[in-house]
Amino acid sequence: MYLAAQGLALKYPNTANYVFKNLSFKLAEPGFNALFGPSGVGKTSLAKIITGEIHTFSGDIRSKGMQTCLYSYNLERLPGWSSVGKHLEKITPPARRSRRDELISVFGLEELIGKRFSRLSLGQQNRVNLLRYLLQDFHLLIMDESLANVDELTREKIILKIKDMYPEAYFLYISHNVVEVSKLCNEIIVLRGGLKEPSATVVPGRNFMTGQEMERAELEQTMLEIVNASS
Amino acid sequence: MLLHRRIYQFFIIYLLAVAFLFLIKYGLDLSDYVIPGPVDVWHTGTREFSRYFSDVMNTMMVAVIGQVISIFLALLVGITGRQATWIGSFTKAAAYNVQAYPIVALAPIIFILLGDGIISRLLIAAMICYFPLLLSVIGIMSEPISDIEHFYRVTGRMRWQLEVKIRAFENMNKLTTVVAGSATLAMAGTIVAEFIAANAGIGYSIRIALFQSDLAKILIALFLIGITLSVYQGLLEVIGYLIEKGWAAK
Repeated sequence: MYLAAQGLALKYPNTANYVFKNLSFKLAEPGFNALFGPSGVGKTSLAKIITGEIHTFSGDIRSKGMQTCLYSYNLERLPGWSSVGKHLEKITPPARRSRRDELISVFGLEELIGKRFSRLSLGQQNRVNLLRYLLQDFHLLIMDESLANVDELTREKIILKIKDMYPEAYFLYISHNVVEVSKLCNEIIVLRGGLKEPSATVVPGRNFMTGQEMERAELEQTMLEIVNASS
Repeated sequence: MLLHRRIYQFFIIYLLAVAFLFLIKYGLDLSDYVIPGPVDVWHTGTREFSRYFSDVMNTMMVAVIGQVISIFLALLVGITGRQATWIGSFTKAAAYNVQAYPIVALAPIIFILLGDGIISRLLIAAMICYFPLLLSVIGIMSEPISDIEHFYRVTGRMRWQLEVKIRAFENMNKLTTVVAGSATLAMAGTIVAEFIAANAGIGYSIRIALFQSDLAKILIALFLIGITLSVYQGLLEVIGYLIEKGWAAK
């Protein structure tokens, strides 16, 4: 299973500038990876190219064994006619009920299960939204700022749990948090915008796992590489 | 609360309009034949109230049935027209073009073909309130609620029933307003039909009052039409509110 892009270029109709061009990367192994870069460099556009929502690009994007790619983003809502718990009940395949309960506990959502989605805070809404995607079939899950408005400790706890629970899946985590992606991600695709060539560089992350020790110097080195790559 | 608001709003407007008429009457010193005085209006009211009330109820019944038919048709066509397929686009284009024609102008043809009975009144009422309803329903149903629908689409769970449910739920206020507003159109359609050729209903009674140049009767008829319509619209809004509340409480 792999996901590879070769010489991708994207330009929106009636605009002169490229969102990105000559963008290449390869994710050869499952894991928790990141799409990093400042606003407007095309992270969401690249995500939508990967999931097949955008077709107006040039270049080549290939994948093997990755039939189901899901894209989730942080502004999604659940319908308002029933509680979060009832919605989760409906969209959970029977075989994943125990997984759902485990995720509800890790995501800190036990108390909120009887509430309406609209009554939750933004961070709680984002956790509920991400949780329902994790209960679906997928080979690649793109998380577009899916943990925005969630406090750092909970975010790290959630990501570590996802890494433990889904070792066979690919994740692309879109985030602006350099510490987080450096520490937790396996590979970080740093997007640099259409005016720079190449438009993307892949930086290896520290891929921190539950129970591991983290060398501060190594983390700082990775952060520096990411900052250098994006500048 | 919605019902009260509708009723007192109508009272304010009606009383202002009547006061304006009396102002003209006494300002220009017009005779009671042109604009009757308050006592005349009161006497006419007490004399004609029960007959006109029964006429208004007759008209209202036709209007309500016509409106219900329109709502069902508009939902049916609106749900079909929401799709981005050729049949959806065709339905939308047809609806936009047909509604541009003043349907009321077809009323004489309907009376010629179907006579002056209840069917003609019903058909005209339904036709007059159907197209504005349809345009609103198509507008609401064709607007995706992307932030809710995305999940169901990408996970292959989206069904047309769910899509309609999401869009209706998210636009319940708009739908209630449109349905309440269409009650006025249905009533107007029925009264117009009765004006033209029917042999029953408050429109028919107004036509007779018009031949007699009896403004007092017309004022009483307008009062009864207004108050009945206000109560009906208020009830529709209350029903919409209760549906939304009940839906959200499940």
